Amino acid sequence: MRPWSLVACIGLLMVSVSEVVDAEPLVVEAALDRRVVAPLLEAFEQSHPDIELVFHDRSTLEVDTLVERGDPAPDVVISSAMPWQMARVNQDYARPLHSREARAWPDWAKWRDEVFGFTFEPIVMAYRLDLPRHMMPPSTHADLHTLLTTRQDMLRGKVTTYSPARSGVGYTLFQQDARYTPRFWDLVAAMGNVDAHLEENTRAMLQGITEGRYWLGYNLLGSYAMVWAQHHPEVIVQVPQDYSLVMMRMAFIHRDAPHPRQAGEFVDFLLSRDGQRVLAGQTPLFSVRPDVSGPYTAQRLRDQVGDQLYPIPINASLLAFVDPQRRDAFMARWRREFQRSR
Amino acid sequence: MIEVDGSLKRRLAIWLLVTVSGLGTLLMIEAYLGAQRAAQRAYDSQLEAAALTIAESVQWQEGEPVLEIPAAALQILATRHQERVFYAVLDADGRRISANLVLDIAEDDQRHVAREPFWRDVTWRGEDWRLYGREYDSAGWETQDPVQIWVGHTMAGRRALAGELFERAVTRFLAMVLLAGLLMLLAMRVALTPMRRLRQLLRRRDADDMGPLDARVPEELRELAETLDTLFSRQRDSRDALLRFTADASHQLKTPLAGLQSTSELALAQDDPETWRSALVDVNEGAARTSRLASQLLSLARLRHVGGDGDMARLDLAAMLREVTLEWAGRDAAREHDLGLAELPAAPVAILGASWALRELLGNLIDNALSYTPAGSEITLGIEIDTRVATLYIEDDGPGVPADLLERLHHPFERGGRQDTQGSGLGLAVVDSIAKRHGAAWQVSNREPRGLRVTLRLTLSSPEER
Amino acid sequence: MRLLVVEDDLLIARSLDNALTPLGNIVEAFTHCAEAGAALHQGGFDLVLLDLGLPDGDGLTLLEAMRERGDTTPVLILTARDGVEDRVRGLDLGADDYLAKPFSIAELEARVRALLRRSQQRSDNQLRLGPLCFDLASGRVTLDETPLELPRRELLLLEGLLSQTGDIAPREMLESRLFGFGEVGSNALEVYVSRLRKRLQGSGLRIRTFRGLGYRLEEERA
Repeated sequence: MRPWSLVACIGLLMVSVSEVVDAEPLVVEAALDRRVVAPLLEAFEQSHPDIELVFHDRSTLEVDTLVERGDPAPDVVISSAMPWQMARVNQDYARPLHSREARAWPDWAKWRDEVFGFTFEPIVMAYRLDLPRHMMPPSTHADLHTLLTTRQDMLRGKVTTYSPARSGVGYTLFQQDARYTPRFWDLVAAMGNVDAHLEENTRAMLQGITEGRYWLGYNLLGSYAMVWAQHHPEVIVQVPQDYSLVMMRMAFIHRDAPHPRQAGEFVDFLLSRDGQRVLAGQTPLFSVRPDVSGPYTAQRLRDQVGDQLYPIPINASLLAFVDPQRRDAFMARWRREFQRSR
Repeated sequence: MIEVDGSLKRRLAIWLLVTVSGLGTLLMIEAYLGAQRAAQRAYDSQLEAAALTIAESVQWQEGEPVLEIPAAALQILATRHQERVFYAVLDADGRRISANLVLDIAEDDQRHVAREPFWRDVTWRGEDWRLYGREYDSAGWETQDPVQIWVGHTMAGRRALAGELFERAVTRFLAMVLLAGLLMLLAMRVALTPMRRLRQLLRRRDADDMGPLDARVPEELRELAETLDTLFSRQRDSRDALLRFTADASHQLKTPLAGLQSTSELALAQDDPETWRSALVDVNEGAARTSRLASQLLSLARLRHVGGDGDMARLDLAAMLREVTLEWAGRDAAREHDLGLAELPAAPVAILGASWALRELLGNLIDNALSYTPAGSEITLGIEIDTRVATLYIEDDGPGVPADLLERLHHPFERGGRQDTQGSGLGLAVVDSIAKRHGAAWQVSNREPRGLRVTLRLTLSSPEER
Repeated sequence: MRLLVVEDDLLIARSLDNALTPLGNIVEAFTHCAEAGAALHQGGFDLVLLDLGLPDGDGLTLLEAMRERGDTTPVLILTARDGVEDRVRGLDLGADDYLAKPFSIAELEARVRALLRRSQQRSDNQLRLGPLCFDLASGRVTLDETPLELPRRELLLLEGLLSQTGDIAPREMLESRLFGFGEVGSNALEVYVSRLRKRLQGSGLRIRTFRGLGYRLEEERA
């Protein structure tokens, strides 16, 4: 059995029971937690019973590799690694979508009508309830820096954040942070000073906080953290008050998609009012559309935290982040700063 | 007859259309090329700016060029049309230090860029790209090798801008044409106003108004207006002459008619058949005279009416004279006279003349001679040939005309002081008109010992003429 | 003789009737082209007197139609139009003579007589004037039924004069008849005319000289 058919078998096992026997298959490769996105997939399957959805939840790097290999190409690609998605689109791996929904999608959340940012996930800090017992929890980046430098003894080993080397999302977030302020490197140095643990994903960070290993996490995906906090009262989520990055999951139809029509319908559904309503009501992914209401909408988030939301822009500047030299330089600097005081 | 040959407006409109479409085509081609050039220039400068931005961030570390690709450069490349972007930084050996696509750059092009900045249109993965390459010198501590920077993007923005510029040019042009057309229409209306004014002036005129035009006209219409004026004045003259003539003629016709009326009235009042008979003889003669008068009036009117010399032709005067004389000699009116021809020249006598008019002239002369000479008089017609001139003559041995009246004979209604004959006095007026038409001199003289001689000098026609 | 008069002026039509009927003719008068055309189709007329300006058309079209049909009945045109062009056109279309209005009755009678005589001669092959008869077939001449022996040139002269039937015979025509085209003395013709005059003395016929023009054989008036 060849590797890809093995993958397909696993995929089939993972898919919820499909009622329609002779349905057309549609393969979605996604860096998106299946548990989080399940309501959206169910809603799609209900409205499109003729399409048999095959949804693979993978890491961003896996997804990117699958896109490039294209053997066979997935139909729809979803990833939170925005620069890599962007690079693939620039390399002509995407097929443009000419639908009403696609045209109506806001310009800042799409590129060339080929790739669409369909979620609106704030980047947050999270801390364990233990923290406020000993100190004032941080509400801004400056607070965090002060905390790290003044209470480093107490926080040593208790701080976690993304590993820029092992996580595409983490790398992107740090790059974006570095673009906004040079003091970011002081923060990196401070985190290095307290021997911050570098994790691969938000879930691991949340797990660590719940278990008491960490007291403070930086740059977590708000979407996951907020859901986690609902079930784990010891975890507090803090949207930074000075500025808060916003990450978007980017979806595109693969150029060589075996089922372009179904892929188009899927992406259309992601952008549609129905799909976005599910996002807003049943997932913490936040809807981009202003005409959708629910607990999780970009509009509601703005109302709550004010104007300091800074979505990572979907434009050509993202391409700079995947430039190997730039990445090398960035990583070199990171390492230097992280180990500055040792 | 008035034949309507198209309309001035349509003719002008067609010329305008031809000019506009001819010039328009050229303008459109120029506008299209211009739009392409402008769009190319605008976006080419974006490429230059992006290349410069990238060049700024090249640094040398330990003899190796290091590049942190600036995000701004990529955004400049992408433009607001979200082009796909390409960049590549090559070191002096042609190795790629950094690049985002596997788009190949020909070695020729690389060599070319070493000399000067270079533009290139290529097709990659089914899309048109425009590339810009440039070499930058660098000043590092260890090395001064140059680096080549290549940037490029797809061309949607250029196409959109060129299309937009072209569309704008077309719109401007169409608006201009529309405006020009409207102004042209207006100008035509204004320009044709004097013609309309003239037309209304003419339409308002009474049918018998022959006065000069009282109109304000532009230079171009002056000739037309003057011609009309001349025409009116000629018509005025001709109408006046006609009126005078008609008045004379009706006066002349009234006289014999009055005679007829009174004679017949007197006769009807009598019972004596002898009186009737004598009255009827008078009536008969009066009627004949009136007839002749009418036909002579007609001839005169016709002579004055027929203009030009369209009916002039070469003809043999001798043959015509013989023919006319023969005809008259055979008539009843000549029964009592000895009407004859003198010996005529053997060769044809060629002159230029209107046949009908000359016959009329001869007829009148013969008729006169028959009328004004007593029965038994000898009337002779003949032709004398000089080198260039044929002299036609008619002579009789009648009583002649008193010397003081000779001069007035060719006036209409002059009868040489005689009231006793059937003549109308118009005959010689007819002769005069016809002679003038032929440029011929004519003369009346008394003969010795008695009689009258009328001569008419006609220029001989040489064979070359007509 | 049966004469057809086409004339719309009633006064003229009546005077034509009055003038021609006493000469032993039957005169039928019409005022319109159409009626006249219909009558002509019946045939049997010896002469047509045709006015040109008619209420329902031009007499010339009637003439044209006649000649196209092959109807050779002699036609005398009577008209107030005395332009040469009209005259020429009429004669071209096959009219035999032309008389301009106003005309004298005497003139008309002479023309009518000449036309009738001419058509008569065409039909019986004899030239006649008063008591004189010239048989064209045999070349014999009789005067009051008495044969008249004539030398050849006098015979030719008489034939020439008779052929004009009352009109002037131009001297050029007579000279070429008598002498061919050779040169002749100016009074050679006069010699033969004098001889013929002597022979005709007392017959009621005479030869009138027109100076420079020709001669006419005519009946002496009472």
